[in-house]
Amino acid sequence: MRSSLRWRVLLVLSLAALVPTTIVGVLAILRARHDVEDEVQRGALAHIRALGAALDDTLQDARRTVELAGASWADAPGDVRETQLLLRRLRRDVPIIKSLSIVDPDGKLLYGDTVPKGIDIGSHSFGGYIGDAVFEGGRPTVHVVVQARGRTGELMGVVIAALDLGFVRDVIAAARLGPGARVLVVDGTGVLVASSDGSALAGSDPAVDRALESTVEGTLSEHGIVSAYRNLSSYQSLRGVRWAIVHEQPEDQAYALARRTTRDTAIIGAAALALALAMGAFFATRLTRPLADLARRADAIAAGHTTDGPPVRGPGEIGTLALSVDEMAKRIAERAELQAALARGDRLASVGVMSAQVAHEINNPLTTVLGYAKLLQEDKPEGHPDRTALALIADEAERMKKIIGGLLEYARAPRQSEPAMQATTGSSEPAAVVRHVAALVAPQLRKAKAELDTDVTATAPIAIEAHALQQVLVNLVQNAAQAGASKIAIAVAPATGNVATRIVVRDDGPGVPAADRARVFDPFFTTKAPGAGTGLGLAVCKHLVATAGGSIEVGDGPDGRGAEFRVTIPNA
Amino acid sequence: MHRPALVAALAACASQPAAPPPIRFLHTFDSKETELFNATMAERRLAVESSLVPFARGQQVIAEILNDGKHCPDAIRIDATWLPELVAAHLLAPPPPALVALDWTPEAAALAQVDGRWWSVPETVDGLFVARDAAQAAPASPSIDDLVAAAKARSSLAVRVDGYWLVPWLRAEGVELQPGDAIASQGAVHALSKFAALFGGVVPAPPAAGSEAPEELRRWNDGEVAYWVTGPWQLGALRDRERVAVSALAHAPRGGQLLVVPTCAPRPEAGWRLAGELTSVTVELVFADAFSTVPTRRAAFDSAAPLVRAEYDALGSAEPLPRSPVTPLLFDDLNPALAAVVAGDATAEEAAAGIARGWHRLRTRP
Repeated sequence: MRSSLRWRVLLVLSLAALVPTTIVGVLAILRARHDVEDEVQRGALAHIRALGAALDDTLQDARRTVELAGASWADAPGDVRETQLLLRRLRRDVPIIKSLSIVDPDGKLLYGDTVPKGIDIGSHSFGGYIGDAVFEGGRPTVHVVVQARGRTGELMGVVIAALDLGFVRDVIAAARLGPGARVLVVDGTGVLVASSDGSALAGSDPAVDRALESTVEGTLSEHGIVSAYRNLSSYQSLRGVRWAIVHEQPEDQAYALARRTTRDTAIIGAAALALALAMGAFFATRLTRPLADLARRADAIAAGHTTDGPPVRGPGEIGTLALSVDEMAKRIAERAELQAALARGDRLASVGVMSAQVAHEINNPLTTVLGYAKLLQEDKPEGHPDRTALALIADEAERMKKIIGGLLEYARAPRQSEPAMQATTGSSEPAAVVRHVAALVAPQLRKAKAELDTDVTATAPIAIEAHALQQVLVNLVQNAAQAGASKIAIAVAPATGNVATRIVVRDDGPGVPAADRARVFDPFFTTKAPGAGTGLGLAVCKHLVATAGGSIEVGDGPDGRGAEFRVTIPNA
Repeated sequence: MHRPALVAALAACASQPAAPPPIRFLHTFDSKETELFNATMAERRLAVESSLVPFARGQQVIAEILNDGKHCPDAIRIDATWLPELVAAHLLAPPPPALVALDWTPEAAALAQVDGRWWSVPETVDGLFVARDAAQAAPASPSIDDLVAAAKARSSLAVRVDGYWLVPWLRAEGVELQPGDAIASQGAVHALSKFAALFGGVVPAPPAAGSEAPEELRRWNDGEVAYWVTGPWQLGALRDRERVAVSALAHAPRGGQLLVVPTCAPRPEAGWRLAGELTSVTVELVFADAFSTVPTRRAAFDSAAPLVRAEYDALGSAEPLPRSPVTPLLFDDLNPALAAVVAGDATAEEAAAGIARGWHRLRTRP
């Protein structure tokens, strides 16, 4: 499942990014290819437009020059010398003229070259025309026929000029064509006037047919040939030129750029997609690794191993989640510990209650035993052999009463689990209590050859009854003395924030081993020799402090030597 | 594939009727008309191989092709003035009775005949009339004098320096467009003078030769012209056709475009089928909507736009040009002579004399 998360992330990445990108990319490539192909066709059309304009300009210029000459001649048609001069100038000005004639309105030759048969001298043509292409001596030729009218508009004759269309071939031969391309120029009947490669038309050419049927221009892709055609008659029909120009190019060469662009773009796109996929896999792995670690961590936590493994780290929300999981694990551990403590506390409370009841029941008969033992001892004279036994009975009974007294003291303090576990309302002056404690323990300390130093710098009353604080301090000082300490100190100072008072009892004794510190406040736990302690002193201290709303903890003394008990009591 | 199946497939292929060859058609449509024609034929699934014949050389080219007979078309669209010469040369076949019997308007039917015999199918009727902005008042009457008077009030009249436009002025002086001495008469001289006198006064200077049609359109669209002597062929290109009103011009020439089938046509029945399609009510209305051409069928005319119906009404009083083979040739001499008079290069008398000599030559040519 963990591994499938990575694949699911990859799948989502693919669906959300790669698939749309691929679709859009393919569409863009197709669109780009279409655009490039359109551009090729537009380029071919622009080419033949320019060629057509060049050819037409040449012919129309020639026609206009012939018209001017005809009008000039019509003003003095009988002047032979001027006419000969005019014809010479006309031939010089229009070098593509092959032959030049002037005929009268009935078609009879007046000047110049012989007129080919079948030439219409201009009736039905609004004064003149440029004829269709014909082949004279194997060369394409057109005849320009212009009616020569005098000043009054009267027809004086007709100028007929045969124009050599070899220039058409020269123009298209000089055109810079693409690879494999050729340009055909045909007249209105489909006769090939010129081709850029000198080849002839092979049978019926669909592009030529389209060109002649069309009004303007267009493109055609057929039989692997891309053709652009333009019917020149569409915009020059009134002037009588009826030609078409066709630009042909094999499809694979015409669209080579488009195909190369398509291929290159596809390759680059595929590489980009592969790179994106690889990066996606990389990032999916990186993205899912902390999640997998978290899942393992969660499994461990669920199994109760809240502190197993190093903490999980991750970016952004994952990092926040990891911190939350760590926090959750910590809380779970604390709760488990708390629950254990509570369970232990409950057990201890039960034992305490039972012990208190037992102590209470035993205390009275024990008092009787102790009393009678002392009476009997007093009744026996000195030296009586029973006095020793009676003294022993009295001592042991005394010790049992002390134990019972401790149990009863412990039992009087409310348990942490009980609602009554609230801070007590009493208060005390810590300086006075410390002075009193010092006086109380002075004989015992002298006997143990220990010294007590006190240092009280806090003057604020604290929220604990004086006798309770006294019992706590006496217990702590006696414990230190019994542990063999030679120097014992009590320091009372304001705690951080000045809302509580810190009382520290430290000594230079053997200290409390770290392994015992968690249990040292448990009832009946003692490190003293058997019979030397009840194991209830520190437990009573903790309960008295807790009852006052404070805390008590144990640690190493200064420089790691001895023990240090730190009691914190809220200020009153 | 099993052999029987292959045989059956081949037999099925062999039994498929071959697609008929396209109808070969020569026409004189302009570029926009050709586009509509091609689209209409494609829509009606009629395969047509069409070739555009320049109008200026149409009569010459068509005569050459039909006389040569090698690449003969199945049908041709011609100007009505070309019909008499083609009929006289026995180059045309009469239309089938079914086409003749259609609901032609009287003007169209007259146009399609020569000497009372049908030789063509009429495609459109045209001629000259007076166009004006619908908000403008019409001249008091169709007469030239009233037209000029109305134009003088507005200082703008458009006429073209062309023999066709001179016809009403000639006819107003009792001169018809036909070879003979009438063209040299005082009436013709008077007509030439009156026509030429329009320019520089109520009519702006004529545009350069070859740019007449676009310049006329520009002047009209720019609002420089109040009254415009023109024909249906110009209205299709107007910007606001719905604002155009037309009225009759006295003695105006009337003509039109015809569909003919030559005797050399390889498939005359296909040619007449195309003629039938082009003169069907649907197609006539398509062209009328697009170019304001005047339909030739009553049913089409009845459904045409108001402007088209007004054109028809205006052309009702127009008179056809003489149905003679030489009529179109007369313009070869008339046009340059008229231009010379308008330009001031020749007097009306000089021009008329020159025209008369040219027309005399036409009468005496073989």
